[in-house]
Amino acid sequence: MANRRQLVKRRASVRNIRKITRTMQLIATARFQKSLSRATATKPYANKLADMVAAASRKTGESKQPLLEEGDAKRSALIVLTSNRGLCGGFNGNVLRTAMAALKERRAASDEALDLHVYGKKGINYFRFLGEEMAVSFAGIADQPTFEQVAAVADKLMDAFKKGELRTVDVCYMQFVSTGVQRPAITRLLPLAKVEPAASGDDAASARDVAYDYVPSAEDLLKELLPATVRMRLFQCFNDSAVSEQVARMVAMKAATDAAGDMIRLLTQQYNRARQTAITMELLDIIGGVAAIS
Amino acid sequence: MADKTFNCNVLTPERSVLKTEATFAAIPASDGEIGVMHDRAPLLCRLGVGILRLETPEGPKRIYVDAGFAEVNDNQLTVLTEQAAFAKDVDVEAERAAEAEARQRHAANADEQEARQRAIKRAAMKQKLAGRS
Repeated sequence: MANRRQLVKRRASVRNIRKITRTMQLIATARFQKSLSRATATKPYANKLADMVAAASRKTGESKQPLLEEGDAKRSALIVLTSNRGLCGGFNGNVLRTAMAALKERRAASDEALDLHVYGKKGINYFRFLGEEMAVSFAGIADQPTFEQVAAVADKLMDAFKKGELRTVDVCYMQFVSTGVQRPAITRLLPLAKVEPAASGDDAASARDVAYDYVPSAEDLLKELLPATVRMRLFQCFNDSAVSEQVARMVAMKAATDAAGDMIRLLTQQYNRARQTAITMELLDIIGGVAAIS
Repeated sequence: MADKTFNCNVLTPERSVLKTEATFAAIPASDGEIGVMHDRAPLLCRLGVGILRLETPEGPKRIYVDAGFAEVNDNQLTVLTEQAAFAKDVDVEAERAAEAEARQRHAANADEQEARQRAIKRAAMKQKLAGRS
């Protein structure tokens, strides 16, 4: 009897949990679509910027730009982007594992100091638990990063880089490849890798040899274009991370909802079995009693 | 002549602000305004803080842009800016306060001086945009 009541109670609580996870899945889906459209909205700007940089650097040829040259400082920075909230499956775990692996590798390879810049509560807690020192830890960038916030971060990094305080800057984040595929990646932010123009078929080909009027000179333009590119790249990293987080949460909550459904089915089966057993026992009792009397 | 148009596209990192046809555009370049009409030669220029003026078939349009770049190529004007605003988006009171604050600010070195000038110009330009339209 007690067993049956327990089963009923457990089934009710699993049902409640399923309700919650299903709601979270729906919320994550809505958020994902929003983040995705935000991320997509950044594409035209990024592509055009890349085109302009390509045009300007063709004009100037090989020119010395501070953002393109690796410094000789004995210090580098690794930026790690994680989420502020949990319940998103392996999202944070994967990013942090990749970051840790890179950290160990870099430390083993050279005696250069490596600054950790951690964004997102989950990453901060993780490194704090490990006792790692963080040069920057910031949880204020929500799951919808604004360009202003990210640009401020990028400007600080570029300043430090130009002053020669940092040799390289890398970003470890969850790259959003498609809705089905996200993978943790480490990309170099500074020095700026060679900028490829956004090749979009005929457009790119025709844009290749345009004789632009440059106002001011191409070289001066490049001086402004490159920082803009760095800001944009970092912004895209943050956006990718935000989109991937929502996808991960969506998938995790879908799995949780499905698992709860399976569990409810199992509990129902067990309950029915227990009920049937109890009825059989009672019947046996009665039949036994009748047999004893007659 | 006046009815010949070109495409105009204003983009910020976060979104596409405006996509329209235009017959004339005045771009606030870093060292003065540049006018653009149909069939202008390809141009790549740096923008200052200022107001982008457009003459479109639907009437004139004015947009505040906070530095950035502009490209003209093949009757296609693309403006990239990190911040853009229409007159209706400007909070005049807030801008006035921002300008006053910037004017009060103490600028110790050249960098701070420059940042101060920029802040003043930004606030002033936004007010100008909001005031006239």
